[in-house]
Amino acid sequence: MTHETKRKIEGFVALFLSTLAAFMGLFWLIFILGDVLINGMGALHLNFFLNDPTPAGVSGGGLRNAFVGQLMITAFATLIGVPIGVLGGTFLAEYARGKKLSQIISILADIMVSVPSIIVGTFIYALMIKPFGHFSGWAGAAALAIIMIPVVLRTTEDMLSLVPWTLREAAFALGAPYYKVIIQVVYRGAATGIFTGVLLSIARVAGETAPLLFTSFNNNFFSMNMNGPMPSLTVSIFQYAMGPYDDWHAQAWAASLVITLFILFITIGGRLLLKWRYKR
Amino acid sequence: MTDRIALEIKGLNFYYSGASQALKNINLTVYEKSVTALIGPSGCGKTTLLRCFNRMHDLYPEHRYEGEILFNGQNLLANGRDLINLRSRIGMVFQKPTPFPMSIFDNIAYGLKLKGIRKKSELEQRVENALKHAALWDEVKDKLADSAYDLSGGQQQRLVIARALAVEPEILLFDEPTSALDPISTSKIEELLTYLKNEITIIIVTHNMQQAARISDWTGFVMLGELIEFDATEKIFTSPSKKLTEDYVTGRFG
Repeated sequence: MTHETKRKIEGFVALFLSTLAAFMGLFWLIFILGDVLINGMGALHLNFFLNDPTPAGVSGGGLRNAFVGQLMITAFATLIGVPIGVLGGTFLAEYARGKKLSQIISILADIMVSVPSIIVGTFIYALMIKPFGHFSGWAGAAALAIIMIPVVLRTTEDMLSLVPWTLREAAFALGAPYYKVIIQVVYRGAATGIFTGVLLSIARVAGETAPLLFTSFNNNFFSMNMNGPMPSLTVSIFQYAMGPYDDWHAQAWAASLVITLFILFITIGGRLLLKWRYKR
Repeated sequence: MTDRIALEIKGLNFYYSGASQALKNINLTVYEKSVTALIGPSGCGKTTLLRCFNRMHDLYPEHRYEGEILFNGQNLLANGRDLINLRSRIGMVFQKPTPFPMSIFDNIAYGLKLKGIRKKSELEQRVENALKHAALWDEVKDKLADSAYDLSGGQQQRLVIARALAVEPEILLFDEPTSALDPISTSKIEELLTYLKNEITIIIVTHNMQQAARISDWTGFVMLGELIEFDATEKIFTSPSKKLTEDYVTGRFG
């Protein structure tokens, strides 16, 4: 075998293996999405969104309570997590830029991003559930916020660092104090990037089950009381999928479809925004 | 050219972090309503010197000044000097255009709003004046609400000059303002500087010796952190008193 044919064969093998690997990944993704779509469509009718769960065996139940609960928990998690994340990222990229402290916090945040979410759940359980003796929506929101913070913090830091330093100097040279430079110039330059980070962090927590199992738990009734146990889509999926009734299984599929689509749209929206930003 | 003094620099030393001394015993007088050019090889300290005048170095806590820079009789390097006030009186334009990520109008209004001007009619009037001053009004008057990023590089640089002019500074510092621009934009900015010196004092750092010769009244030659020679531009370029200056302006090194 000549040297040349050997090289050609090596090239072909490398191409074949990497293509195979790519299709393996894609196959499972499409399989899951397709399965969720086919099975979820069946139970997806208007009553599913408008009715609360009915007692087992009674048909016509929906998951209105879980939709509202999920939205409330996610919304409050965003309200708690995003300001802390953005301000923290601002501290790292602006006030502590280049300092040792900034690097340490960055690394810690990176570690936090990959901490298993169930650990966050048990942590909040010990902090906010055990002492009060009951589950609560607030605890669920707090657990999700803790998962969001490092994501938002790191994106904010990265996006602020991308804003050219000379832009800040130009604002200083006009006689602007630092906080005005950050709010009026730097944030504007990084706005799309930070907003994308926020969207992606919402997508990240919207699919979490483990931290909610220990905190907001579940509730078969409609509830907007954040001080009590609150239903959520993910925990309902968990409960219904484990249950013995066909009706529950169908609803779990439908709920999976809804939350998958929700996350898909947020993620795609985030990517499109980023792309749009870099085109300019 | 009047002989009133705008800035008087006395025994200025400047240190970047630690021991490295970037400027050594600089003595220099900048005259009002004239163009003073600072020339010298790359890394000689001319930009460092320029950035002392509006205390840009204060953004980096480890940097240190010694000596005096008198501005209206007061040392602007004094501790406790109000930097916000100082920078609104001594403006700066950078090498690369630095438009803010906002509309053309908001870019110019930015410095005015910092000064506390809120009235819409006054803002509009001042923005128009500044843009006219910077010879940009005719090109942008119909698209003031557009993003400043839509302008060309040369227009952006004139926008930044207009933004600096809007707050009505007494001195404007230019740090190689045309080195990122094409020849046509460059000549527009040079024209603008020649016109502006009727109203304000201009100090410009430039790599381009022809530019210094064309537009400046006074020229300082800086090398290795020292001011080798300072004199009327004509003298520097025709009969400098130092051998080093002559070698530099005749292109023997640099």
